[in-house]
Amino acid sequence: MRAPQSLKQEFLKKWMVGLQLCESTNQNMSILERKKAIKLSADIAMASTRNGMTCWSRALVAKTSTDFGNKVLVDNILLASQSEKLKNKRTIIRRKKILRKSHRARKARGGRVVARSLAKEMVKKRTQVLKSLVPGGEFMDDVSLIEETLDYIVSLRAQVDVMRTLAKATELMNGK
Amino acid sequence: MEKGKHFLSKGANNSAAAEVPIWNSCSFGMEMQSNKLNCFSDQLPNCFFNPNWDSSMDQSDPFESALSSIVSSPVTTSNAIPSSCGVGDPVMIREVIGRLGNICNSGEISYINNNPSTNTSCYGTPLSSPPKLNNPTMDSKIAGNLPILGKGIPEHPSLASFPADPGFVERAARFSCFGNGNLVGLNDKFRLNESELSHRLMPRLEPGRVSSNLSVKALGPQANVNVDGNSNSDKKFSRLSRSSTPENAEFGDSREESSVSEQIPGGELSMKGQKDCYSRKRKAIPRGKAKETLSSSLSTSDSKVVGDKDETNAKRSKSEETNGKEKDVIKAKEEQNSNQKQNKDNEKPLEPPKDYIHVRARRGQATDSHSLAERVRREKISERMKFLQDLVPGCNKVTGKAVMLDEIINYVQSLQRQVEFLSMKLATVNPRMDINMESLLSKEIFQSRGSLSHNLYPMENSAGLSFPYVYQSQQGIALPNGMFSNGETQFSVNPLNVVLKQNQCRQLPALNELGDAAWQVSTFWEDDLQSVVQMGFGQNQQQQQDFHAGPNMPGGQMKVEL
Repeated sequence: MRAPQSLKQEFLKKWMVGLQLCESTNQNMSILERKKAIKLSADIAMASTRNGMTCWSRALVAKTSTDFGNKVLVDNILLASQSEKLKNKRTIIRRKKILRKSHRARKARGGRVVARSLAKEMVKKRTQVLKSLVPGGEFMDDVSLIEETLDYIVSLRAQVDVMRTLAKATELMNGK
Repeated sequence: MEKGKHFLSKGANNSAAAEVPIWNSCSFGMEMQSNKLNCFSDQLPNCFFNPNWDSSMDQSDPFESALSSIVSSPVTTSNAIPSSCGVGDPVMIREVIGRLGNICNSGEISYINNNPSTNTSCYGTPLSSPPKLNNPTMDSKIAGNLPILGKGIPEHPSLASFPADPGFVERAARFSCFGNGNLVGLNDKFRLNESELSHRLMPRLEPGRVSSNLSVKALGPQANVNVDGNSNSDKKFSRLSRSSTPENAEFGDSREESSVSEQIPGGELSMKGQKDCYSRKRKAIPRGKAKETLSSSLSTSDSKVVGDKDETNAKRSKSEETNGKEKDVIKAKEEQNSNQKQNKDNEKPLEPPKDYIHVRARRGQATDSHSLAERVRREKISERMKFLQDLVPGCNKVTGKAVMLDEIINYVQSLQRQVEFLSMKLATVNPRMDINMESLLSKEIFQSRGSLSHNLYPMENSAGLSFPYVYQSQQGIALPNGMFSNGETQFSVNPLNVVLKQNQCRQLPALNELGDAAWQVSTFWEDDLQSVVQMGFGQNQQQQQDFHAGPNMPGGQMKVEL
């Protein structure tokens, strides 16, 4: 993982490209539209900082680009980012799923079994929730889910940072 | 990466693997051990230590000559130690050295029996009182001595690390009482836990040794600190560490000797309790490790190797268990003779898997590949979870996977909601999206800021380091720069908010000047940014002198738009 510094820079740069694209395509937007555009471009920019190395970013791009109107934007942002880095080499990390073998249905005494299964159930439920939160999480196994979550959190943080700074700056600017 | 380097530098793994059994059989002629080693030898290409071993064999006729040089060089050793650390006890060292020499040269047991506590102390309490304090001095000492070491006395750094411990004597005492409880039946125990022993052995030895070994990575905090400090000189010292590896084995020997000797009166006891205590100990080590190493990416094949070893060990131990008392005694005696050699051989092949030690099967656990893989997977998950724990605020106190997942979910959700909110805010606040964006986009901002600061996570520290931006207050050009640094400081230095705030308070007056200077040139937009800067980024004023020399951002080129 890189330093968030460069991550933020990259993200900001890409985001700006995306925002400009949005701006150029549609001049008069309602607030909601604009918000959507901003969010979309931010998301794509965030995803594109990962260069398709992570599942979540790929999933995010895929999800956003299903909409046709977005697809143009997505492509443009990705293109813009790729022009800088002569076409990112597709070094996608594919993870092998470790086959699980649930052979151990061990019989212990009643209370323990209940507790254990309860805990397992809880974990499973939460894992499901987390999978729904992380883009593309439905297709990950446990290990890669956690890795991706790590990465996703880092990116999200960078995104939030940059956005917050921008918001603050513009707010201040408008305030005066 | 270190691994790769190591392998490259050491070159022929295969040759090392081939050499092990040979050396083993010819020089020491151990019957049972050679068998065991044969099964190790196919694992050897996996080990990082073999190359070491190999080279150490090349350097010195491993056993005798090395030890004789130990014995012959007690003076230099003891010279080095007291100067490097006040606590060091030269007499003790000399004693240890002398005894070791005796062990190895004459193979007599009586000597060993005399000093179980001194020897065992080094391994008995690996986790207590890390010798951090002494490391720097020790290292410098070693650095100073390097030429000499390379020539004749490769041993004494590792030796020196022992007495360098401030708590050396204390630990010795502690272990001796620890040993009373646990040493019974250590013979079997040792079999099962040789790798543990080596594992524990390493943290003790490594710090003093300035090793470039991969194992350092896994050693936990103290060793890691050491490596960081010495990463520059790693290459230089690699030879040193290599040459000192035989001594590890040496110490391992002596320990085992002592344990054996204590075992004789004790006879056999229940294995289970001991194993439990071992497993407990074992757990403590990987935990330290997991935090340090980013990804110890263990392959399942490696774990399988460990599993195999487990099996063999378990079998052996079982057979021994059935053997009964007198046989134990006999064996102990037999081992007293052979153990020092045997161990020396054991130590080496067993050290490498210490990365994966936590995958080992305990008693009653399945050792087939599936359950091992499952265990590896679980380990991986928990390791990642630890990282997540560090990453997610407020998550480091909770225990239990479910709760942790809860926290993580909450955090991700909150971040996502923040993004929503912020995009909404941006949308409302800024009707024309392109205004400031362009000015912000001017590449100088980002490029100048790049690569200067490396806060990875909140775990990384030092507020000072986190603000190494070039901030040129002259003519107030660097405003967006300041602005973004503001944002970054807010977040990347989470735990350091206090510091940040301090800085803010301190710097406000200075900032006003800055603002004045900037105002002369700036547009109204910049004025606003000034206030942003004031809010968060006072320190720059202070640091600008320091960083003028750095990769300055070409402030003049910054276009200020609108």
